Amino acid sequence: MKNKMMSLLQATDLIKDNMLLAIGGNAMHRTPSLFTLALTRKPVKNLKLCGAAPGLATDILLASQQADTSYFGFSGLENEAGLSPGMRKGMEGEGKIRAIEGS
Amino acid sequence: MIHALRAGAYGIPFMPVGGMWGSDLVGIRPEFYQIMKSPFDGAEVVCVKALAPDYAIVHVQEADIYGNCRILGPSYQDALMARAAKKTIVTAERIVGSYRMQEEPKLTAIPHFLVQAVVELPGGAKPGICYPEYQGVEWDKHKAYQKAVKADEVQKFADMMLEGRL
Repeated sequence: MKNKMMSLLQATDLIKDNMLLAIGGNAMHRTPSLFTLALTRKPVKNLKLCGAAPGLATDILLASQQADTSYFGFSGLENEAGLSPGMRKGMEGEGKIRAIEGS
Repeated sequence: MIHALRAGAYGIPFMPVGGMWGSDLVGIRPEFYQIMKSPFDGAEVVCVKALAPDYAIVHVQEADIYGNCRILGPSYQDALMARAAKKTIVTAERIVGSYRMQEEPKLTAIPHFLVQAVVELPGGAKPGICYPEYQGVEWDKHKAYQKAVKADEVQKFADMMLEGRL
């Protein structure tokens, strides 16, 4: 087995334009939010995101407009955290982000 | 969505899915859903296209340096995502010795060979929740995020969070 430890910066460097990413966790739970916040500091764009119940970490990449497509079953933050603000901004009205809803 | 990831994990291009009948989604997303006939008896089935992500990105409570991961509490679809994706990037609350995995091999949700990168990142799900490490949303930070989205300042929020200035 190989040692795979790396810094957050090195790990975010693995993500390139147009990649499809599955983002783990659920709504506000165990969502990899610091990783996607770190991604917002990179010029990476046109990402495609997927998850059954994507939450905050996905919302961050929709808010930063680095994703152009999101596949989801349910997308939101739930309870008091409410709706997904980045998703609303990116998809409602003249939003350019493509929503592909599953169930 | 789960069937799409399952098809990705199994290495097949699509998967029949029950329960989609009656949904308008089937008609409006032909690039994701199609109806086909069963080769066995001609019955119509809805099929969903496979999703095979380039990376799965998951935050876990415990990982070892090789990428073996333990998820405490609900695992949602994370283990499936790791199998559907070409490779997985893991951020972990803490790095543990591999003896943790050897003690209870069945609790290894994601095995090392699916993983390309392991990042030690305590608080990696904040301002959200990571049971049992932190069990409530940090509301002041979450409100700051909501404001940042409205003001188009997500990158500034990211800087504040990552540099511990919030």
